[in-house]
Amino acid sequence: MDALITRAQLLSRSAKGGAALAVAGVALGQFVDAASADPLPTGDLAYARLLVGAELLASDFYTQAIAAANTSPAVTKYLKIAHSNEQEHYQSVAGILKGAGVTPAVSGDIDFTYPKGSFDSEKSILGLAQTLETTVLGTYLGAIGGIQTNSFKQGIAQIASSEAQHLSYFTSVMGGRAFSLAFPVALPIDQASNAMDAYTS
Amino acid sequence: MRFRTFLGFVAVAVTCALLGAAGAGAKATKADAGITVFAGSSMTTVLPAVDSDNTYSFGSTTSLGTQIINGAPADVLMGANATETALLYAQGKCEKPVVFTRNTLEVVVPKSNPAGIKSVYDLTKSGITVDEAASSVPVGSYTVQVLGQMGLNSAVQANVVSQETSDANVVAKVATGQVDAGFVYLSDYVIDPKDLTLIKVPAWAQPKIQYAMCVVTASPNQSAAQAWQAKVLSRASQAIFVKDGFLPITAPVPTLAAVSKSSGKPGTKITLTGSNFGTVTSVTFKGAAAKFKILSGAKITVTVPLKAKTGTITVTNPSGTATSSKSFTIKKA
Repeated sequence: MDALITRAQLLSRSAKGGAALAVAGVALGQFVDAASADPLPTGDLAYARLLVGAELLASDFYTQAIAAANTSPAVTKYLKIAHSNEQEHYQSVAGILKGAGVTPAVSGDIDFTYPKGSFDSEKSILGLAQTLETTVLGTYLGAIGGIQTNSFKQGIAQIASSEAQHLSYFTSVMGGRAFSLAFPVALPIDQASNAMDAYTS
Repeated sequence: MRFRTFLGFVAVAVTCALLGAAGAGAKATKADAGITVFAGSSMTTVLPAVDSDNTYSFGSTTSLGTQIINGAPADVLMGANATETALLYAQGKCEKPVVFTRNTLEVVVPKSNPAGIKSVYDLTKSGITVDEAASSVPVGSYTVQVLGQMGLNSAVQANVVSQETSDANVVAKVATGQVDAGFVYLSDYVIDPKDLTLIKVPAWAQPKIQYAMCVVTASPNQSAAQAWQAKVLSRASQAIFVKDGFLPITAPVPTLAAVSKSSGKPGTKITLTGSNFGTVTSVTFKGAAAKFKILSGAKITVTVPLKAKTGTITVTNPSGTATSSKSFTIKKA
């Protein structure tokens, strides 16, 4: 394991980042409390960076999907809800980094790219939404097992649950079963990272 | 040996020799005209392609900066980071730095990839040999940063068998199969990928690699040096950088200072005033995309969309989003 951040350092950094963190909702509150409680392993910070990247990818996708204006009002409504959810998730996982005195990546730091025609029709948008949500869900499920700080796990599980709801909607509206797997796949950090990297240029 | 790698070796060798002899470090690739440019070794190929009339000295950005502080006769420093030029600026040794390109850090393996490396995570496996630049040069510093951000520093450093003085030396060792993998810039790979296979470093772990240049305060060729900076920033030169694997300069995030009206019906045209509008990709009214026309970097006209609802207006370019401070009220059509 790499160097740890001490509780004192984290408390100090959390205080500095407090104003920014105040807006981020229930899960973030849990994250901040947890981050203040114990030294934070760098492996957990790596996971936080990965999750920030996942949320930026999801937000970017929904932004483009909504802007494409190729979906029915009903689907657009859910795209907007999902987009809003992802932005709240971003604030939460970015809060882990901010609390540790680390600047999280922001929109514009990562150039995302999608397969040609991804936003040309409702079907293509829903198909990509399904694929991305599967990846994001797997990433969060992997994080629950990979993150060492136990008190982060509940908040991460809450976000995973939200991502699972997104996936369920997109799967059912595509004609699939809203749910089927008893145990959705959890992605190890390397597989999650590689899966996400398919959407970066 | 490939041309780019050969140049890298020559540059480092010459720079080191001159450092030892006189502390000047100027490697004359062409001394009969132009200005003297000290530049990071990752630009060994691209800068002569931009202008072959200058005299270039390629080496470690940090070393070149030190040489300038010690009085080396450079007109411009072009660093593989933004910190060295900032340091010289703070010391009054150069004018205000200008970011002129970007890069990414990547992993390269020999073309045949005998170790079967598929991702950065594989570099932690037992028996893998890794080459990196020393942390005293920018590419080495970025390597440590990336590995730290991925939580892999300790595990990968255990497999590092050599530390080099430049990215060119890392490329050479990987290309000749002396090591299983090495950390280099994307541009190192793009320039000559013949003997290499690229393994991407995840975007979420990438450091911000910005290259900055500055005119040396003591330069007797101030106007020529400033003209060179303008040339580097020109569209034609930037295209050469991109062709060689560098990334275009990131457009600044837009700012939204004023909205000409506070309310209106769908179809109403309004004017937005702000900054960095030249590369705007979308304007929305509470999430509803609007048709817009860029009038200048500071002004956009927008048509209130049919589906707009009362809420804030956002303006987005590739670098980020600006949001109006006040809500725009939608009146019934």
